[in-house]
Amino acid sequence: MNAITTERLRKTFGGVAAVDDLSIVIQKGKIIGIIGPNGSGKTTLTNVLTGIHRMDGGVVVVGKKERTRIKSCEVFGLGLTRTFQNVRVFEQVSVLDNVLIAITKKGVLGSLFERASAAQIQNADAVLARVGLTEKRDALAAELSYGQRKLLEIARALATDAEIILFDEPYAGLFPEMVKRVSGIMQELKAEGKTVILIEHDMALIRELCDHVLVMDAGKLLAEGTPEAVLSNPSVIEAYLGV
Amino acid sequence: MDIAAQLTVNSLIAGSLYALVAMSFNLIFGATRFFNLAHGALATVGAYGTFYVGVVLGLPLSVAVAGGVLTAALAGYALERLVFRPLRARKASNLVLLIASLGILIAVEAILAIFFTSQFKTLSVLTGAAQTIHIGSAVITHVQLTMFASAVLVCGTLWLVLSKTSFGRAIRAVSDDAEVAKIVGINTNVIIAALFVIGSAIVGLSGVLYGLDTGIEPRLGFMLLLKGVIAAIVGGIGNVYGGFLGAFLVGFAENFGIWFISGEWKEAIAFGLLVLFLVFRPQGILGKKHT
Repeated sequence: MNAITTERLRKTFGGVAAVDDLSIVIQKGKIIGIIGPNGSGKTTLTNVLTGIHRMDGGVVVVGKKERTRIKSCEVFGLGLTRTFQNVRVFEQVSVLDNVLIAITKKGVLGSLFERASAAQIQNADAVLARVGLTEKRDALAAELSYGQRKLLEIARALATDAEIILFDEPYAGLFPEMVKRVSGIMQELKAEGKTVILIEHDMALIRELCDHVLVMDAGKLLAEGTPEAVLSNPSVIEAYLGV
Repeated sequence: MDIAAQLTVNSLIAGSLYALVAMSFNLIFGATRFFNLAHGALATVGAYGTFYVGVVLGLPLSVAVAGGVLTAALAGYALERLVFRPLRARKASNLVLLIASLGILIAVEAILAIFFTSQFKTLSVLTGAAQTIHIGSAVITHVQLTMFASAVLVCGTLWLVLSKTSFGRAIRAVSDDAEVAKIVGINTNVIIAALFVIGSAIVGLSGVLYGLDTGIEPRLGFMLLLKGVIAAIVGGIGNVYGGFLGAFLVGFAENFGIWFISGEWKEAIAFGLLVLFLVFRPQGILGKKHT
């Protein structure tokens, strides 16, 4: 079964196609890597899938819902969440509250009189423990190091309990120990039946984690297959290394 | 010594009025990031709502006050739904939003002048003769005491809502990064609409209390807005509690300033304080410095 399918998906900026009639299939319950040289359209694809950019053409199917437009406020309802290449946490909010925001009620009337319950706080604490931020739970997010913010962003994504999680270069700026932890989380998510989409430049990590890899170049799908097959594909090597 | 006591009371009264405007202005600014000049118009709408319900319809004071606050809240919601949200959806710049809000401020003042004339009106028929309380050697009226109590109560309630509830957490998320707030499932439009309702009700209350204290005319909101915005900037733009502190600082600076210089310089003191902050501490008292 497929988690996401795109058909002739298109996004242009000033006449230049960043995503160019892209048709891909993301299989459910797997770790799917998306690789490609800088400017190949990986992040634009993520932004279109999560409603940050409006698509200019094509169709996206998430689950059974076919969409010609995705609004970012609908993404949560689609069971989709993401992290950002340039880390984005709620800076002026505590680490715990960053996670609670993803857990507690979203409507005005329901949330106006709702204090986070013991169960919700316990849930948030469990997520923080999973990414190793328990000691920072009461600190402001703005006070965290870059790597810790990356982990907090991942914690927030986990707290949404989404079925599909897009990680946009989650390893950038992380210490080796943190890298190991994040890789472990991805494998746990897969074991839970969730779909992980990983945009990454580190080919060793792609090889280690991914079941299937999509290679993008100039907004198009250049190749796809198992990590071994894709990374030994001459056209991929040429696009990546220019040789 | 008598003068100092009275000036302290006067400072607290002025600060309370400015605090209601500044806190509500900052509450909305925090999430929308534009200078909403129409906020002042809603103070006037609140005051005239009370005038209409209390004086024209002849209903009791409590109903008139509730009517004024409710009218301002509904008007604020209508502005958000009919003007500001469509502009945001079209990705209008903050300058466009500012100009639109200025247009609304002027239009609302004109409409109120057409319906109620530009003549100064008192609401004393609702409050009766001013009843006073002596605090030491200083004198304060019941309405003025209500202003102070309202400012403290509103500040406390906002603190409770913002820091202790899921709604407050959602507001802080929207204020911090609206796009990411959407990704985690927060309907930012609903949160912003709720902020307009709450903020407009608070600024409407300031207009009502000002009207009950001194009377009303169509431009009262503009003057309240100027002082409120100064307080909001001095306290830290977008910071609700900063607005509260800034308001009392402006109130004290104005009232103690005229102890030393002529009363006609009262406005200049407030604006002078604003300039000082803009030059030496642009982030305000509680605002964060942007690097």
